[in-house]
Amino acid sequence: MTAITDRDSTEHADQPDDGANRARSGARPSPGASQGERAARTDSPEPWDDGLIARRVTEPADAPALPALDSRSIAPATVTPLVYDAPLRTRLEALRELVGLSRTRLDSRTLSEAGRVLDEASARRRLSGQHTVVAIAGATGSGKSQLFNALAGVTISETGVRRPTTAAPIACSWSDGAASLIERLGIPPRLRRRPLPSGDGDSPLRGLVLVDLPDHDSAAVQHREHVDRILALVDAVIWVVDPEKYADALLHERYLRPMAAHAEVMFVVLNQIDRLPGEAAEQVLDDLRRLLDEDGIALGEYGEPGTTVLALSALTGDGVGELREALGQFVSERGAPARRVSADVDLAAARLRPVYATRRRTGLSEQAREEFADRLADAVGATAAGEAAERAWLRNANRACGTPWLRLWRWYQDRGEPATGRIPARAQADEEATARQRVEQAVRTVADRASAGLPAPWAQAVREAAARGAQGLPEALDELSVRAGVPAGRPPRPGWWPVAVLSQASMTILQFLGGLWLLGQIIGFMAPNLGVPVLLMVIGIVGGPLIEWSCRMAARGPGRRYGLEAERRLREAAAGCGRARVLDPVAAELLRYQEVREQYGRVVGA
Amino acid sequence: MVTLDVRPQLLDALSALRDRVAAARFPLPLAGAPRARANRDELLAQLDDYLVPRLREPEAPILAVVGGSTGAGKSTLVNSLVGRRVSEAGVLRPTTRTPVLVCHPEDHHWFSGMRVLPDLTRVWVPQQDATDDLLLPGENPARVLRVETAETLPPGLALLDAPDIDSLVADNRVLAAELICAADIWVMVTTAARYADAVPWHMLRTAKEYDVTLVTVLDRVPHQVVNEVSRQYGALLTKAGLGEVPRFTVPELPESAWGGGLLPATAVAQLRNWLIHQAQDPAARQHVLARTAYGVLDSLKSRMPELAGAAAAQYAAALRLTSAVEGAYDSEHARVRGRLQSGAVLAGDALKRWRAFPLDCTAAELLDALVESLSALLLCAVTAADERVDDAWRREPASAAPELAAREPAADSAEHRIGLAVRRWRRELEEHAEEEVRELDRALAPDPELVAALVATSLLGGRRGRMAGEGLAERIGAHGALRLRDRAGRLLTEHVDRVLHTERERRLAPLDALDVHPEPQAELIAALSVLQKER
Repeated sequence: MTAITDRDSTEHADQPDDGANRARSGARPSPGASQGERAARTDSPEPWDDGLIARRVTEPADAPALPALDSRSIAPATVTPLVYDAPLRTRLEALRELVGLSRTRLDSRTLSEAGRVLDEASARRRLSGQHTVVAIAGATGSGKSQLFNALAGVTISETGVRRPTTAAPIACSWSDGAASLIERLGIPPRLRRRPLPSGDGDSPLRGLVLVDLPDHDSAAVQHREHVDRILALVDAVIWVVDPEKYADALLHERYLRPMAAHAEVMFVVLNQIDRLPGEAAEQVLDDLRRLLDEDGIALGEYGEPGTTVLALSALTGDGVGELREALGQFVSERGAPARRVSADVDLAAARLRPVYATRRRTGLSEQAREEFADRLADAVGATAAGEAAERAWLRNANRACGTPWLRLWRWYQDRGEPATGRIPARAQADEEATARQRVEQAVRTVADRASAGLPAPWAQAVREAAARGAQGLPEALDELSVRAGVPAGRPPRPGWWPVAVLSQASMTILQFLGGLWLLGQIIGFMAPNLGVPVLLMVIGIVGGPLIEWSCRMAARGPGRRYGLEAERRLREAAAGCGRARVLDPVAAELLRYQEVREQYGRVVGA
Repeated sequence: MVTLDVRPQLLDALSALRDRVAAARFPLPLAGAPRARANRDELLAQLDDYLVPRLREPEAPILAVVGGSTGAGKSTLVNSLVGRRVSEAGVLRPTTRTPVLVCHPEDHHWFSGMRVLPDLTRVWVPQQDATDDLLLPGENPARVLRVETAETLPPGLALLDAPDIDSLVADNRVLAAELICAADIWVMVTTAARYADAVPWHMLRTAKEYDVTLVTVLDRVPHQVVNEVSRQYGALLTKAGLGEVPRFTVPELPESAWGGGLLPATAVAQLRNWLIHQAQDPAARQHVLARTAYGVLDSLKSRMPELAGAAAAQYAAALRLTSAVEGAYDSEHARVRGRLQSGAVLAGDALKRWRAFPLDCTAAELLDALVESLSALLLCAVTAADERVDDAWRREPASAAPELAAREPAADSAEHRIGLAVRRWRRELEEHAEEEVRELDRALAPDPELVAALVATSLLGGRRGRMAGEGLAERIGAHGALRLRDRAGRLLTEHVDRVLHTERERRLAPLDALDVHPEPQAELIAALSVLQKER
């Protein structure tokens, strides 16, 4: 199917890609010549040599029917430049700033359309605001030139049965001062004409500059290029269709649908209604309206802004008056240039939508920030360090306040056990004490969270900012965990320890005292008195563990505080480091996006 | 004079080729893929609709398909050739939405079956409006063929009125091209207003490329300009190398298209006579059939390599995607190995635990921390690999395939899978430690969990974990420690390899499911060369 139908619509898009594709897949020789290549071959004029068409393009297309009243010959009147209204000026300004802000983030190809709109808007603004440039476009043989002549009242543009007839655009200006406007379209002076002067000198079409375009659908590719170039520059377009071609896919798919935003500066006229019998004209007109509606073009019916659709016959003059009237009103309003630029901005903004707009709320949530801090704390081992500090504190407390007997027993136990881990290792400074993998994962997660929902280029920028910040982050955390970590050596002692130690000692002394007393009685050295020494001993024996127990209870709180304090110190230091190196750059990048987003909102005009 | 001489071997080769073409798939969205897919469909349709049935049954009636742009007056032309209204003509575009085939009643059986155009459902009802009701639900209304019979047509000739080749309805466009490709005689209709349009010229050039039997009709020419337009058109055709193509001119008459729809017989007599001559003169008939059939056969010479090239491009793209995944996972695997060696697992939490061990930390806690740290390392490697794959794939247009793009949010499930694998490793490690401890016949055998923690530390701690190795040797003896450490090391390598392998396979699974292989390219070329030999 492609061989026949798809060629035209896809050949331009496919050619470069096909080439690249073949290069990648090992450049197959010519038997595998792709369709795209074939299309290119058949379309280029050389092998097929549409000699007639080609010749007609280079042929001087004038041979004017009327001695040209060249607009140069008339002294240029003072030109009043165009003035855009305030909202449009704001939007253009916003678009300019938007392009400036995003130049570093987006490739120039994405921004080229917006840049072109800006350039054209400012170029048009410098030129006459009294004139409205209207192009007549249409398929081969639909009667563009005939309509052009009918509007001008004289035979300016050559008409004929040879297809395609008009090879180069011709301009016709109803009033003076439009020279620079026509200059902008690239129409040489020899192709500029004046209409038949009307009697009273103040024609209703005053201010109109009409341009007759070549066809867009003939086998002559240069014609289409002319059309595409000029359509981008004119203020308004009259599309001429005929009963035979009004449903051509090329017209609708290539021109009308993409220009749906420009509905307000478009006329669609159904020409050659003299060829239709009776009511058929009305039917065809309705069908044309339906097709336009399907293309998404707003129709200017019932006083709403939109495209004006008319049926006429340039040959017999039927309906030309209506078109002239509509054109006259359109031109006298002088709003077309601004409306066209506004539609251009709309279109450019719509094209840019995927790189700016996002449906989701973006930004770094508080939760994501906290999670990031938690992950970093894990990476430096804050929890483990806190627990270890707490336990060490408790251990020391127990050792200090425990009964001597217990300490003796522990010491004996310790002597039997082989020591692991703690002794020499603690002395050496740790290299890479921070878990690299956890830092990496934390940064990746937070970058993903921050960039979720952002348009691709901005998400990329956020990720890059995070990655830049992550460089050197583990080293910084290493250093910091040494600084903020638990100081080496014994944990600090609370004030009540000496009291506890003293009372523990006194209990031990009581035990000894009671024991000695009893011993003295047994030896007979002292008067027998069983009660008091036994009581002393019991107090000592019971009181020692009791004090130890109560000390342990009392130490729990401070121990816990000590551990938490150690953990908090490490955690806060790590979080602070992460915030400074990663979160802040990421937030800055998000802010930049927000700014651009707002600018985009201004461009859209919401 | 070429004649159609078909041997059974040729038919076999052709049907083998047809199967190969039918089997070709282009699932990756490369730049050339849509075109390749369309080419494949077109070729398949032409083989099924035209070439195979024509070669099987050379005696079947000649099918002339009338094609052209919207509003060229195709339906009017067909009606006029037949002499009665068989196809609806009108002023609204597109007019013909259902293709209509007209033949002599005797020839009806050739077209009522699915011999040609097997994709199109046959409809018998003459009224076009009624067809909509007859369609089964879900059936594409465009894929219908209406068969009409008319006594006025001579036996051995069938006319087909195709939809517009440049219709606004894309389906119609495709159908029109398919129908035209199924013709023995291509009848191209253009008009005085259109003869320089680009679209019909593409069609003419395709006809020239396939070297089919072609005839052009310049329709709706206002009589004042007949000579000039006809001359112009002739010049264009000659320039395009189509000078010898029979050319007929039909004037624009009041009864053209609008309303009535039947031109007087004299207006189309020339064309009618030519068509009847082609159908009834045996020599002319043979020539027409052979030319189109051989033209299409010859066109295979360039169309098949084109498909093969597209298949190769698909495979190359799939290979690039696969190697991007493999490269990313391989390099991450190497990085994990290096980090394991350097003791990166014994860092952060795990390191703090180890420093506190055994005074302020139990063996279980140490083991927990190590296991967690190990799974963090693996998860980090897997996500890093995925990120790399994403980066590499972003540069590949082929990765935009919906099957590849719709990846489930992998991070959580990967975390889950890695957690499972690492916990299994821990369990097995503890079992090994228990075994080792049981073998010791010492009275005060150390706690198996402690042994497991020490092994894990010495294994994952790199240089920092050396103390753990010494402690282990003290507890279960140097020999036992070495043995246990080796076993645990092997176990670790095994699990790490398995985790990364699983994740890589998961990443590759959608790509594998697309089934892009190198074979179709060779098979297509092979089928073509067999066909060439049999000619």
